[in-house]
Amino acid sequence: MPEVVLRGVSKKYGKVVAVDDISLTIKDGEYVTILGPSGCGKTTLIRMIAGIIQPTEGQVFIGGKDMKGVEIEDRDLGYVFQNIALFPNLNVADNVAYSPRVKDRPAEEQAATAKKYLELVKLLDRMSMLPGELCGGEQQKVSLARALATGSKLLLLDEPLSALDARVRMDLRYDLRRLVKQLGITTVHVTHDQEEAMSVSDRIVLMRKGSVMEMGSPEQLYTKPQNMFTANFIGETNFFEGWVKERADGLSKIELRDGSEMSVANCPFDKGTAIVVSVRPEFVFPFTSGLHAKITSITYMGTYWRISTEADSEDEVELDVPVADGSLYKIGQEVYLMVNRKAAIVFPRPREGIAEAISLE
Amino acid sequence: MTKVNRLAEGRKKTLLDLVSGRRFRTGWKSFIILFFIIFVILPTVWILSYVVTDWSSIQTEVFDKPEIMQVITDAIIASFEIAIIVTVIDIIVGLPMAWIMVRKEFKGKQYLDTLIDMPLAVPTAALGFSCAIFWAVTPDKVNAPDFSLAFITSPFMLIILLHVVFSYPYMVRSLSAILEQIDQTYETAGRTLGASKFTAARTITLPLFRAGLVTGIILCLARSLSETGGTMIALSTMANAGTFETGPTIIGKWKALLSTNPDLAAPLAFVSILLIVISLVLLVVLKLMVMKVRLPAGKVWPKWERTLSRNWVPKLKDGSAIIFLFIFVLIPSFFIFSYVLVSPSAITEWGTFWNALIYSFIIAGIVTAIDIVLGVPMALYIARGHSLKFPQFLDVLVNVPLIVPTAALGYSLGVFWKGVPGIGSLDFVLIIMAHVAFTYPLVVRNVAGAVEEIDPSYEETARTLGAKPLQAFRRVLYPMIKASILAGAIMAFTRSLGETGATLAVVSSANTAPVYIVNLIKADQFYLAAMACIVLIIVSYIFMLALRYVTKRRTD
Repeated sequence: MPEVVLRGVSKKYGKVVAVDDISLTIKDGEYVTILGPSGCGKTTLIRMIAGIIQPTEGQVFIGGKDMKGVEIEDRDLGYVFQNIALFPNLNVADNVAYSPRVKDRPAEEQAATAKKYLELVKLLDRMSMLPGELCGGEQQKVSLARALATGSKLLLLDEPLSALDARVRMDLRYDLRRLVKQLGITTVHVTHDQEEAMSVSDRIVLMRKGSVMEMGSPEQLYTKPQNMFTANFIGETNFFEGWVKERADGLSKIELRDGSEMSVANCPFDKGTAIVVSVRPEFVFPFTSGLHAKITSITYMGTYWRISTEADSEDEVELDVPVADGSLYKIGQEVYLMVNRKAAIVFPRPREGIAEAISLE
Repeated sequence: MTKVNRLAEGRKKTLLDLVSGRRFRTGWKSFIILFFIIFVILPTVWILSYVVTDWSSIQTEVFDKPEIMQVITDAIIASFEIAIIVTVIDIIVGLPMAWIMVRKEFKGKQYLDTLIDMPLAVPTAALGFSCAIFWAVTPDKVNAPDFSLAFITSPFMLIILLHVVFSYPYMVRSLSAILEQIDQTYETAGRTLGASKFTAARTITLPLFRAGLVTGIILCLARSLSETGGTMIALSTMANAGTFETGPTIIGKWKALLSTNPDLAAPLAFVSILLIVISLVLLVVLKLMVMKVRLPAGKVWPKWERTLSRNWVPKLKDGSAIIFLFIFVLIPSFFIFSYVLVSPSAITEWGTFWNALIYSFIIAGIVTAIDIVLGVPMALYIARGHSLKFPQFLDVLVNVPLIVPTAALGYSLGVFWKGVPGIGSLDFVLIIMAHVAFTYPLVVRNVAGAVEEIDPSYEETARTLGAKPLQAFRRVLYPMIKASILAGAIMAFTRSLGETGATLAVVSSANTAPVYIVNLIKADQFYLAAMACIVLIIVSYIFMLALRYVTKRRTD
């Protein structure tokens, strides 16, 4: 069964390190997303799993077998490309039947396989069309059907939805998860879209500059990120810079740069430590007392208003208010803000500064 | 502003206004198209009218004379057999080489890249001699070096070996150009689906290749069918060439005899007609066939194809491709240098050669100038009007002189202008017109290709800013296509410099450098011929370097 294990895998191009010593296990049947900003090495990583490029160091195991020297075509996997890469000279059915064809299966079996997988993606009626005649979403579905038609239990998706329109992208990602779960396929999905990663994965592997920053379930990464980069990259968050003023088990006091105070429920650091508090916008509320701030912009988001403010502590704070309350706020208005102290997460203040710690490159 | 200045300003304006006026532009456009039709297309295919006007003489001089008929059919069949065999060889050996050039990264790739183009620097006249002394058994008087292979006795074989040399670079270049445009992801996708490298290349890349293959095939066929000078020289150099002739050599030979034997006019016309018609038909059939016919790519033999993709097989294939390049292309091209090193010096006089070379230069220069002045507007018209019917039609027509064998083209052109008083007797003018006919498409193709890639919105922007069409061209478009014009010009110049067939067919006593070399060989002046070849190689090589420099800058 296709469990994928990476052991100390690196890829270097001269002095440039694209992937730096990654070890990772993807369990049988698991849907894992490799998430990261562009240039973080995630595509290089998935290409090394597929055998399209060879690691400079380390080993790749698929189903317990060392893949060193094993050609792409012998790795028994399905691969969906970002640029779709349907063969332009073959029609939809022939594209899907390509895998059984190059394995010299009987003609009836080729036709049956094409039919089966096109039915699965609900495109049976497009069978005799050429790829160029389909729209982007349909093309990528055919390409998925083609990859599934290998019958392989390991599916690699290389930014499969990036080339598509926003709407199509949303619809397709649910289809994607539903299909692979239905077929019990181990899936590695590469994307730079954190929303996409959140909605499809069992587990997210977050990469930055060739290394794994953090991995865990979408919920873990969102509610309990282990570092500032994760907190910032997955979802949105506000950062407050300050020091631990008082540490207690139940409630710790943080002093911000202007001397104002903030309470947080969990602070693992000692008194006097320079820290950064991360609070997501949905856990910041306007109140009658608290941090004093001035509204700098108000944006209508459909189901809520996004209000950006600058606190006296010089921290920029964003919060969301219900649609009905929108008329209560104006640019330049002064407000007091409260944070949900249980939702606040405390990180040690990075020596290189916040901007550097959360930068994408 | 002084009065004089204002006056000058005023005059300049009227001139610009004049050339920008609708009427002038329509007139200029019509002139360009008329020039193309009267000076390029019509003379090229004029000889076809012979069928209608003088069928009776073809009847009496060709069909009623079995020995003439025999010579003609033998020559034509030999020409097409050679062209087809050469093209097939080029495809078989060119494909792996194109693959190496596009898909492989290795040290020294740029040297291999230069080596492939090297034969293009050698004029075919020089190639003919060089190949003959390398491959063929030659008579003692030639004094071929002892280490030459000297085992080919069949003229048919020798000409095939010769034509492979100069058509090979065209094939490799056409194939690489198209291969570069095929996304490698297709092959990778094929491999993730379980296809071995060979299977993926065969079932996906090759079918996408067809358009490029047609271009390569047409270029090779046309070059092989046209080649005259090198073929004549190779046949004269080898021992016992017998009565072997190709279409173009028979035209050259008969044209020289025409003044003493006017009866040859009909056979000459007939050979030319056959060459033109069969070439054009072949072109059309090829285009249709390659687009319509699907390669039998259905069945896959995974086990066999896997073996072909792995271990020693790809290495053997790449190795053979490179060995072929050296043994069949490069060494025969430059073997001539060894000849002048080992043979005793026997220079009698250089004067005639320098005269011939200068004569060739003057012709090539004038031809290139005409090509640019009248070809660039044509290219603009074709490129900017490619959605309209007429420019599309012209686009197809422009290729005709490239396909028609130059010897046939030359003879046809000679017949066309013979009737026109004042022109028919001017050898110099006739040679220039013949050379314009087959070099003009080179400039038009190059420039039209470049213009098509430039967004017309640049010129439109200039026009909205108040520029007249001529100003928009000079200030906006011209700087962008300058390199392509230059590239086209250099190609036209070198083609004109190396051309033998058309020259001999239009004026048999012409004295251009390649014709001079042919005559030297026929007069057994091998050493002088070889030296002349080397001078021609060096001159052409300098021009090729210039071409590379220009085109490199264009792509950077």
